[in-house]
Amino acid sequence: MLEVKGLSKAFNKVDVLKGIDLSVKKGDVVVIIGPSGSGKTTLLRTLNFLERADAGLAIYDDKEVNFNRVSKKDIQEIRKRTGFVFQNYNLFKNKTALENITEGLVYAQKVPKEEAKVLALKELERVGLVDKQDHYPFELSGGQQQRVGIARAVALKPDIILFDEPTSALDPELIGEVLAVMKGLAEEGRTMIIVTHEMDFAKEVADQVIFMADGYVIEQGSPEKIFKHPQEERTIQFLRRLLPEDYTVYL
Amino acid sequence: MDLAFLLEAFWIALTGVPLALLVTVVTLMIAVPIGFILAVFRVNNIPVIKQLSIVYLSFVRGTPLIVQIFLIYSTIPLILNMTFQKYQIDYDIFAIHPVWYAFIIFSFHMIAILMEVFRGGLSTIDQGQREAALAAGLSPVQTYIRILIPQVFANALPNLSTATIHLIKATSLGYAISLQEITLRTKVAANVGYNYLEAYIDIFIVYIILCSIVEFAFKRMEERLKKYQGLSE
Repeated sequence: MLEVKGLSKAFNKVDVLKGIDLSVKKGDVVVIIGPSGSGKTTLLRTLNFLERADAGLAIYDDKEVNFNRVSKKDIQEIRKRTGFVFQNYNLFKNKTALENITEGLVYAQKVPKEEAKVLALKELERVGLVDKQDHYPFELSGGQQQRVGIARAVALKPDIILFDEPTSALDPELIGEVLAVMKGLAEEGRTMIIVTHEMDFAKEVADQVIFMADGYVIEQGSPEKIFKHPQEERTIQFLRRLLPEDYTVYL
Repeated sequence: MDLAFLLEAFWIALTGVPLALLVTVVTLMIAVPIGFILAVFRVNNIPVIKQLSIVYLSFVRGTPLIVQIFLIYSTIPLILNMTFQKYQIDYDIFAIHPVWYAFIIFSFHMIAILMEVFRGGLSTIDQGQREAALAAGLSPVQTYIRILIPQVFANALPNLSTATIHLIKATSLGYAISLQEITLRTKVAANVGYNYLEAYIDIFIVYIILCSIVEFAFKRMEERLKKYQGLSE
């Protein structure tokens, strides 16, 4: 479904991504973990061209793009195939919950308005917010806004949904409702790449866990492998700091 | 105080309102889009245009409006005269209605002011929403038109209101170029019996009414926008 090879990116001559290889199969839930500044978010953003990578290849199904010479048309095409859920939700403030979802359907995908509304309501139902369809973002809690954000991404029927720390900006009591929606999507067999600090969620939902640090993929594998039998010193250090009780055995 | 004249001159002052409003509306129609585009150039640091617009802005802000009026009002006929002579166009420059000069002068003045208003509005653009729109597959142009610009206008509305009222009041200086607006008409009527105080009181009242109505209209517009901004006074 998605192959990434040798993805690199530098900001002002500081290398943030140093040759990332990545392989995502259809229906996979890939969770990327790692300390802050490790390049997780940048990796996700380059996949959707919100950030332009300096080098590397990406193969989306049949479509192969070279990151350093990609046309506007290719970018548009790939954005159509990928959905993006933002850390700060980034809902359109001048649009209602429903309009946030129909906007991309109507104006990017040229779906007739009535049809788009039906599709959007279906997505709002999935995230449990049909009763908030006419509310503007400022009238919604962070958790509700993020659920609309997810509905907005899913409604466009992307092949892959990219989640950039979707619960990091939320109050602790609102995290659960967002993770529940994401878990539902995973169970439906959606292909997802998720950057998160929610380790329990990663253990439970991921098919593949990638541990990144300093712009490299240090270790990857099943949640079982990464969380129970990490091989690399950096992975062990990271997990120990995050979940001290579980990793005393490695001390 | 001549009460009869006070009343009479009030109606005369009112007859100047359409022209004052015409100048205001036409000026805004010219200055809003140009001011907006220049503001976009400035926030995007487009070379040359940015520097020129800064010089232009300091000229408008650093000189009295009445001086700008005199300067432009004297320059345009000169330029026109040369052009007409060069291309042998037979047209009497002094027959040009002063309202055309008013459009040019006030647009020149307001473009600079609105450029600053929109520059403030543009600085409030939320990059996150821009990215979200692009990620949803909207083109950059659709992103601006559907998502960002409506919010820029909403954010700029209070300053736009102030600028519009400034413009309405500024049209009173049109008397300097014989524009038959509120001030000039009423003053001329007062010339007959030297009833200047009555005339000035009427002019004063008419401007207050006019500006209050416009201010109220902007307030209503703001309230409608508050709907999605969630702002309360």
